[in-house]
Amino acid sequence: MNAFLLHLWVQFRMDARERGTLLTFYAVPLTFFVVMGAVFSSINPTTKETLAASMSIFAVTMGAVLGAPIPLVKMRESGVLRAYRVSGIPSRAVLLIQEVSAFFHLLLVSAIIFVTAPLLFGADLPRDYTGYFIILLIYIFASIALGLLIGVTARSQSMATMLSQAVFLPSLLLSGIMFPASLLPRPLLWLGRIFPATHAMQSFSVLAYHLKANYSGASALGITAGIGILATAIAVWRFEAAGREELG
Amino acid sequence: MAEAAITVQGLIKRYGPTTAVNGIDLEVRKGEIFGLLGPNGAGKTTTLECLEGIRKADGGRMTVDGCNPQSDGKELRRRLGVQLQSSSLPDTMHADEAMSLVCAWHGLQPRFDLLRGFGLETSLKKQYHALSTGQKRRLHLALALAGGPAVVVLDEPTAGLDVQGRAQLHDAIRALKAEGITILLATHDMAEAETLCDRLAIMIHGNVAAVGTPVQVTAAGHGETRIIVRTMNGSLLPGLSMGSARFTKASEGYGEWMCSDAAAGVIDLLRKVQTAGDTVEDLRVERPSLEERFLELVEGGEHK
Repeated sequence: MNAFLLHLWVQFRMDARERGTLLTFYAVPLTFFVVMGAVFSSINPTTKETLAASMSIFAVTMGAVLGAPIPLVKMRESGVLRAYRVSGIPSRAVLLIQEVSAFFHLLLVSAIIFVTAPLLFGADLPRDYTGYFIILLIYIFASIALGLLIGVTARSQSMATMLSQAVFLPSLLLSGIMFPASLLPRPLLWLGRIFPATHAMQSFSVLAYHLKANYSGASALGITAGIGILATAIAVWRFEAAGREELG
Repeated sequence: MAEAAITVQGLIKRYGPTTAVNGIDLEVRKGEIFGLLGPNGAGKTTTLECLEGIRKADGGRMTVDGCNPQSDGKELRRRLGVQLQSSSLPDTMHADEAMSLVCAWHGLQPRFDLLRGFGLETSLKKQYHALSTGQKRRLHLALALAGGPAVVVLDEPTAGLDVQGRAQLHDAIRALKAEGITILLATHDMAEAETLCDRLAIMIHGNVAAVGTPVQVTAAGHGETRIIVRTMNGSLLPGLSMGSARFTKASEGYGEWMCSDAAAGVIDLLRKVQTAGDTVEDLRVERPSLEERFLELVEGGEHK
């Protein structure tokens, strides 16, 4: 088997054994989905219109921003990356494998939410399925890119946790997934636009559910993708720079 | 003389204003176990990291089995196996998965035989965090050999191991030498260096302070040889200094003398026994140990 694919397969198996991965990628987001889905759909029936999308944004943000950075920091701190390197395993491949495995987990948890939200809470189905999944894929990519950026930037696990929370909490509160963003004061509304979750929510509303939103869904999707590309570029640059620092 | 497996000429490495390695020269011959000794901060690990291609040198030239570790990264990985001082693997990775991965990245079939050879046959499906320190060390050694290297660098391979673990790893290292693999071994353990290494170098403050076989390095010092003798009639006791041998103590019928010329000291003592019509029951000659020589060099280096 190709070394990259074998490594990816081993990574999936390790993820399945890792309690932290199961908690941040599956257990907590799905529990939150079940509890909050029940609460939201009972107190405000209009949330059913985009429940699958908003809960997917929550799950993806949590997995990517809280779950993805720590393993990277741990690998660097504990010497795993160096051990890989002297064993002939390219560092870039390790970064890509982390990204691909996280992508798989987040896609799976989002698919679970997509299928069960209508069954459990009578959530609306999107008008445009293709649009829904394109937005979902782009949002997963952007979120993982942010997670990787945190993972390669933070010098310690505690720093990574702080940076993750600094992205996760505003994403949760200001993006419109918990309550309509239009209820926010204007400064917070603008602050929320730093985070891809806000633009992803706009994209889902306009492009997948054909609802009205504050600005163009296509622009929002473009901004989400742009944040992902920029974060990936900076993460790769920082990762390479860290490697050069070690060489130098 | 055997061909060189590793050459280091004028290696310099600085960290800001600190010079960690100060223009050292070394040569490790093919098939030998070469020890690199030195106190903490002497530059051993930095030297090894430059040879491993994970740290860039500021000056000098190096070759490892014919490749330049600073520029031939891919080729180096095929020829050089490395066990780092602070090596780790993901906690949930199985030992056999680690071997499969490393071999796959080398384009080889998994070398599970190496894991079995290092006594890990019952731990193939154990997660990394569940392995003992000794098992982890042996796993990393097996991984270092996965690509079939001609040269292996071991940085403190027995640190933290119990006596049995250390003995097992020593056997493994000797087995590698028997297969013709060149081993560069950094260690703090003088007894380990003395028993395992064909030759060694002692580094102090980024310089090579001594190089040679353990006997040569020890003999070059100013340490005295200890001679301990017990005779049938106790003719040497109460002890007297004689010729080149200086009496130091007597205990349970044994006398102890120190001398700088071991051969002359033994001859002087035996002559005295013979003159007294006595017979030697037990005689031991203890040369200064590598540890004593090491301390002499380190303390000398610190006084400079």
